[in-house]
Amino acid sequence: MAKTNVRATGGIILPPERRTATGELQQVAWENRIVDTAAVEVPVPAGEPPIWDVETRPQVIGKALPRLDGPIKVSGRADYTYDQLPPGTLYGKIVRSPYPHARIVRLDLERAQAMPGVHAIIRLDEADLQHSSAAAAAAEPGTAVAAHKQNGGASGKRNPLFVGDEIAAVAAETEEQAEDAARAIEVEYEPLPFVADLETARQPTAPRVHAGRNNVRKLPAPRGSNGDRGDIHAGLAAADVRIEGEYRTQVALHNALETHGVVARWETSNQLTVWAATQGIFGVRGDLATFFHLPPHRVRVITNYLGGGFGAKFGAGMPGIVAAWLAREAKAPVKLMYDRKEENLASGNRPSSHQRVRLGAKKDGSLTAIEIISYGTPGTGHGAGVGGMARRAYNCANVRQQEHDVATNLGPAAAFRAPGYPQGAFALEQALDELAERLQMDPLELRLKNYREHPFKALRRQYEIGAERIGWSRRQHWQRGEGAVRRGLGMASACWPTFGGPPATARVTVQPDGTVTLTVGSQDIGGGTRMIAAQVAAEEFGLTPYQVRVELGDTRWELYGPASGGSVTITSIAPVIRAAAWQAQQKLLAALAPGLNVPPEQLKLAGGKLHGAGEPIPFARACARLRQGTISAQADRAANYERNLTDMFGAQFAEVEVDTETGRIRVVKIVAVHDCGRAMNRLLAESQVNGGLIMGLSYALYEERVVDRPTGHVMNPTLDFYKLAGTREIPEIETVILDAIDPRSNNVDAKGLGEPPIVPTAAAIANAAAHALGVRLRELPMTPDRVLNALAALNS
Amino acid sequence: MRAYGSGQLLKDVHMKKNKSGHGTISRRGFLQGLGAGAGAAGVLTPGTLAKLPPATQGAASAAVREIELRINGRRRRVRVEPRVTLLDAMRERLRVTGPKRVCDRGECGACTVFLDGRPVYACMVLAVDAAGHAIETVENFGTPKRLTRLQREFVEHDAQQCGFCTPGFVTAATALLRRRPRPSDAEIQSALSGNLCRCGTYPKLLAAVRVASRPARRSQSAASSPGKQHKQR
Ligand code: FES
Ligand code: FES
Repeated sequence: MAKTNVRATGGIILPPERRTATGELQQVAWENRIVDTAAVEVPVPAGEPPIWDVETRPQVIGKALPRLDGPIKVSGRADYTYDQLPPGTLYGKIVRSPYPHARIVRLDLERAQAMPGVHAIIRLDEADLQHSSAAAAAAEPGTAVAAHKQNGGASGKRNPLFVGDEIAAVAAETEEQAEDAARAIEVEYEPLPFVADLETARQPTAPRVHAGRNNVRKLPAPRGSNGDRGDIHAGLAAADVRIEGEYRTQVALHNALETHGVVARWETSNQLTVWAATQGIFGVRGDLATFFHLPPHRVRVITNYLGGGFGAKFGAGMPGIVAAWLAREAKAPVKLMYDRKEENLASGNRPSSHQRVRLGAKKDGSLTAIEIISYGTPGTGHGAGVGGMARRAYNCANVRQQEHDVATNLGPAAAFRAPGYPQGAFALEQALDELAERLQMDPLELRLKNYREHPFKALRRQYEIGAERIGWSRRQHWQRGEGAVRRGLGMASACWPTFGGPPATARVTVQPDGTVTLTVGSQDIGGGTRMIAAQVAAEEFGLTPYQVRVELGDTRWELYGPASGGSVTITSIAPVIRAAAWQAQQKLLAALAPGLNVPPEQLKLAGGKLHGAGEPIPFARACARLRQGTISAQADRAANYERNLTDMFGAQFAEVEVDTETGRIRVVKIVAVHDCGRAMNRLLAESQVNGGLIMGLSYALYEERVVDRPTGHVMNPTLDFYKLAGTREIPEIETVILDAIDPRSNNVDAKGLGEPPIVPTAAAIANAAAHALGVRLRELPMTPDRVLNALAALNS
Repeated sequence: MRAYGSGQLLKDVHMKKNKSGHGTISRRGFLQGLGAGAGAAGVLTPGTLAKLPPATQGAASAAVREIELRINGRRRRVRVEPRVTLLDAMRERLRVTGPKRVCDRGECGACTVFLDGRPVYACMVLAVDAAGHAIETVENFGTPKRLTRLQREFVEHDAQQCGFCTPGFVTAATALLRRRPRPSDAEIQSALSGNLCRCGTYPKLLAAVRVASRPARRSQSAASSPGKQHKQR
């Protein structure tokens, strides 16, 4: 695509308020907020709207505006997948393995088939469910069980590999009948050897989880400036100080409040509609189209509202395939929502980690070596790496990170908000603090010493603001306290590397009655995509976001949008929405100009009015002049203007109190300073940061999946035994969002914010606890018993 | 090799108290557990469980009965088995979907409704026990165009992200403000401690409740209020 070089100025826009000498928050004038500016040449592709830079002050974007679907949510009227109930809906229920590893000797459906209300039963123990897809697609509805019976006993059956693995599924008229029928399915198992913990699984003699594969798998290591580099031995040899430590993190469970699930309805024998609790409607569509051998446009996926995802809800997955398959068999819609226990056994988790960290540094604090060797268990899945903190966050010439997945007979892992990064930060950021102690350096100074320079990176400013707001200077004359309760201050950095980009498509239409409709093929998983989409469109039309109609969460418009993961939603779709809205606005002005006897360039939309032709005309009245009816423009997402963009960074500071008698850690305050390029909506950005750090706090202090090793059962798959932070555990939180405007990124200067805020929280709390106690807590969660054990070790 | 049952069995025989203090043993699972021979739960293996006859089935289906629920001032007739919870009767049979099912065992508050004016977890009440009592759900407080003060503050503070926990929080907070119009911060925190939010909206929803309990501020300008928006889906 043709590109034009445009000169633009990037820089940092500080938050709208600053502390005065007396500690008061005071508003700051816009001009005084812009710092660290630099001009750059930006190669802008043809067809893109005018570039924004650090001087640009949008009217709607960046404001703290309440989300437009708030009223629907607070009045209980938002319709989630869980709330769908098409007429005649049956309920699906999955039969799950009670053994962590077994062979199915006999699977008898007969008694279940005769149960009242039962309409369909399918087997899920095929060697490869994809093979069943041919059967599911080819067979006349109603014959699948018969077909499976014929094949029954043949080789190629799939052995359940964890407690909760799928064996069969039923559809019945009520949920209770489905549960009864599921219980009536007779399964005879021959238990097989299994392994349910990381340490045992690493032994060469351990039972193999996946036949013919070692349990331990080394993950590929990237090389280059953001990968392994230099010579780790030389780096350690060159160091004046070396430290080494081991860190452990737990398996954590996503527990989005809306569980995984799908409601499926066949409109005809080759037209499927599903409502899916998903972070990516197009991924679900692709999976179902493949499974049922349908062209994609024959599958419609709808997600009006989603009750949280946090990384575990991509693709059709078991719920999607099973619901659609049952619906086909039963010739009726099927609703299959996981219960909380299924959710926590079989729908994903954050893998554990066991990390050994070695750091080397010169006397002045400059790092000469970072080495991380890690093992973690993703159950039967994959993805137990500890992320890119060690490779990306700091300036160091010699880095080596060896990561390993260790398979166990437990439910498969799934991406979980900033996969790997909170684990990696917990170890690396504590090791840095330990190094600072050894060097008798301030931990923040050590981080600044190893600061990695990138264009338009705001981290230095984030450190400054965070330090000021937590009162970091108090640390110099810190009083830990004399009594049982000790106080500490700690901090940690966040780094996150992914960006949105193409493909994404958006369409904007303007009706003669003034209705502006924006259609985009993404979904709102709770972060506020609907609102930000409306804001971006409103900006170009001089309207308020509440005047824009947003359509999203439906594949039927055939406008592709990315799955919401990796913090890419807004970075992918906001620029294409702006492009479509800008083009539609240009068309609108061109259409109106002749009737007003002015050149289109003279017309301008602002404050809900059309300006430039005498008295300003209200928007709707102006649109009424449209001769040819509807104006519409559709745009595809242009590539990011530059390839190598600066990672997202952030910093969090924590103040804690630790009761040395009870071992309880109380977080007193957290200051979180982040950026997402140009913040699209300050209120929503704050919520996103709060949400990440509260999830991080919960991970740091409370959450842990507990497994009974002799049986392979998860002991706490329900919310009465798996503790999540609640209102009583919330400290004082100060969230600060600044803007790091990088005009090389995209036409709204947006970067992501979903993941970074969870990255440093556990590490910052751990560093504060170590500061309070004089002993380091190297294992998550930092429960009272671990605190007391650490203190006992210190005293002995 | 034998694998002894753990949470799986526990769930079915779990008996809990209704947090409102009604103290009813009101669990569908409890009834099922009884049917499955709960007394011996400690020694059942999962394998045995899978082979157990669904003892409740015949009796339970036969016991389907029609009851009348008074939801938001309307009398609704519904056919349920005795083991069906109030939550499931409302959501899956009467399409009253404001209250959400999240934990289904009295831990998260997402299903909170008023029963005779007192907040209860609807997942912990059997539908048959709720028959004849007055039930009020979040749908009855305010509509998107006419929100209550509390709901408006939720919106203004962005006290909801995904929103799945929100009906429960709005209901629990409404209960608090009906009981104590001017609660202290500690009272707010404690009144909402029976509800969970995974998106981490706590700071904002605590602020929303605090502000809603104080005298009204001057009204927001119409343009910045989402109450004036186009109707969303
Ligand atoms: S669903 Fe009733 S308390 Fe959680
Ligand atoms: S807003 Fe998502 S769970 Fe509370």
